[in-house]
Amino acid sequence: MNEQFHPAPVERISSSIPGLDLILGGGFFRNGVYIIQGLPGCGKTIFANQICYGHVAGGGSAVYVTLLAESHSRMIQHLSTLSFFDVHAFPDKLSYISAFPDLESGGLKGLVTVLRREIRTRKIGVLVLDGLVAASEAAPSDLDLKKFVQELQSIAVLSDCTVLMLTSGSVHRLHAEHTMVDGLIELEDKLYQERSERAIQVVKFRGAGPIPGRHAFRIGNDGIRIFPRTEAIHGGPVTDGASPGVTTSGSAGIDALLRAGGVPRASASVVIGSTGTGKTTMGVQFIHASSAAEPGLHLGFFESPDRLRIKARSLGLPLEALISAGHVELMWAAPGEALLDELADRLLAAVARRGVRRLVIDGLSGFVESALYPDRLNRFFSALTNELRSRQVTTLMTIETRDVVSSVVSLPLGISGLVDNLFFLRFVHEEGVVERLLTIIKMRDTDYAAGLHRIVIGAQGIRLAGTVSSDGDVIPSAAPATPAGR
Amino acid sequence: MKTILVVDDELGSAEVLALILEEEGYRAFCAVNGALGLAKAIEVLPDLVIVDYMMPLMDGAEFARALRADPRLAHTRIVLNSGLPEFVIRDQFDTYDAFLRKPFKVETLLAVIQRLLSTS
Repeated sequence: MNEQFHPAPVERISSSIPGLDLILGGGFFRNGVYIIQGLPGCGKTIFANQICYGHVAGGGSAVYVTLLAESHSRMIQHLSTLSFFDVHAFPDKLSYISAFPDLESGGLKGLVTVLRREIRTRKIGVLVLDGLVAASEAAPSDLDLKKFVQELQSIAVLSDCTVLMLTSGSVHRLHAEHTMVDGLIELEDKLYQERSERAIQVVKFRGAGPIPGRHAFRIGNDGIRIFPRTEAIHGGPVTDGASPGVTTSGSAGIDALLRAGGVPRASASVVIGSTGTGKTTMGVQFIHASSAAEPGLHLGFFESPDRLRIKARSLGLPLEALISAGHVELMWAAPGEALLDELADRLLAAVARRGVRRLVIDGLSGFVESALYPDRLNRFFSALTNELRSRQVTTLMTIETRDVVSSVVSLPLGISGLVDNLFFLRFVHEEGVVERLLTIIKMRDTDYAAGLHRIVIGAQGIRLAGTVSSDGDVIPSAAPATPAGR
Repeated sequence: MKTILVVDDELGSAEVLALILEEEGYRAFCAVNGALGLAKAIEVLPDLVIVDYMMPLMDGAEFARALRADPRLAHTRIVLNSGLPEFVIRDQFDTYDAFLRKPFKVETLLAVIQRLLSTS
């Protein structure tokens, strides 16, 4: 009489495309009918095939049905170069067949008949229909097309099959079939001046809210890899479990300037200065303090790992022992060619893999170069630093400024709001003497010795060497001919 | 004049092949799946069939087995073709007269046809 209503949960089916299940909240809904839309060249064919081969690898069967699309042999030739291709999927688990003759002779009814028959006789779990536009054009009216989709939906549910229909064109023109399907995914390859970025957007998804917006993806030897937007997956507030205490900056001298004796754990510090002022050195110093308890990761864009090792040795801070013991990892990325979210993904994966606690990002401009539209950067960095903080990672990032002609520091990107601690390095010359100065602009939650601290960089790394009373003339951009501190 | 039947669900390529065969002096017919192919074969009694493997309703292997099982058609020359490698097809049917991996050059096919038909 008073029975509880237990809704039957709708099962999900994994897409086998890295990043997509996360965006969909677990995968496609089983037995749904979805449209994958995008202009020619956007990656639809690889996308759909990757799902098929993934489904087969998981023990299922799939069929790839073409209307007037790429020839089967060509498709197989191209796909065989990708790592997910498996020739052993044939013939029992996967087939490519054309339904165009049935569409041509029997219209939509003929098409539905062949699809229904193949789904049932082959007992498949995934069906791809490539070339929906041919069916749309064969439909006498919008109503006929809607009826076709609805029939397909009934067949899908009755036969336990998930259907993906591929079509070209843009989602921004409303088509009759868009209203009927369970979900609509758009793939695009957008040009930003001379670079292009592939992106996916889940425009519609019945039954759940996908992670909204556009997410970048790459097509490589392993097919498609999607990088969900960093701000969208890491934008949440930090759970306040920050471990108290401080950790060394790597330099005893700098630690001594901080009342607490070090930088607060899980904080984000930025070192800003023009070229040659010692930013990378500060990074090496910081990473050299890594240990088993505090594994370190150094991400550089400009100095290769080999050059960094050489530099570290010249500073009396060799990294070899730490690297071979597994306490330090050196990562390098080419500035400007990687996708922003791909960089974040690589970084966070490396942090997770080794339980990293000390992170140096040498050259934030490496991220900036990768951004196709700069407006994103504040939100991106906010999300990234938030995520690093929640993972208890103490981070040191370096930023290069161009011409620093006064002691007023104007920070790019609105960085000051994002970081906890700010260090400023610069060269000054006074009465013919060149000095290297470090100023602490801000430290969150801890006192510090304000002032202009003279630093010396040599065979013991960074040493503090007193303070200067006046600023002198700041030397812009280039490093001085006579290096300071020797 | 020899008769050739082309059985392939990719209708465009089947029709183009049939046209080329006609130009080469053969009588050519098309069918878009194994079932329709079988019906056509019984009707025209081809000397040779060129049959695709992956097709709806009845695939190339099943069609070939049906051909061999029918006394009227048992001696028809069978050229199986596919975008898949031969070993996959051979597991399903192995008494074909020739196998061609797609995509193939039409000259290759014509040479195979000529060789097979000259010995019958």
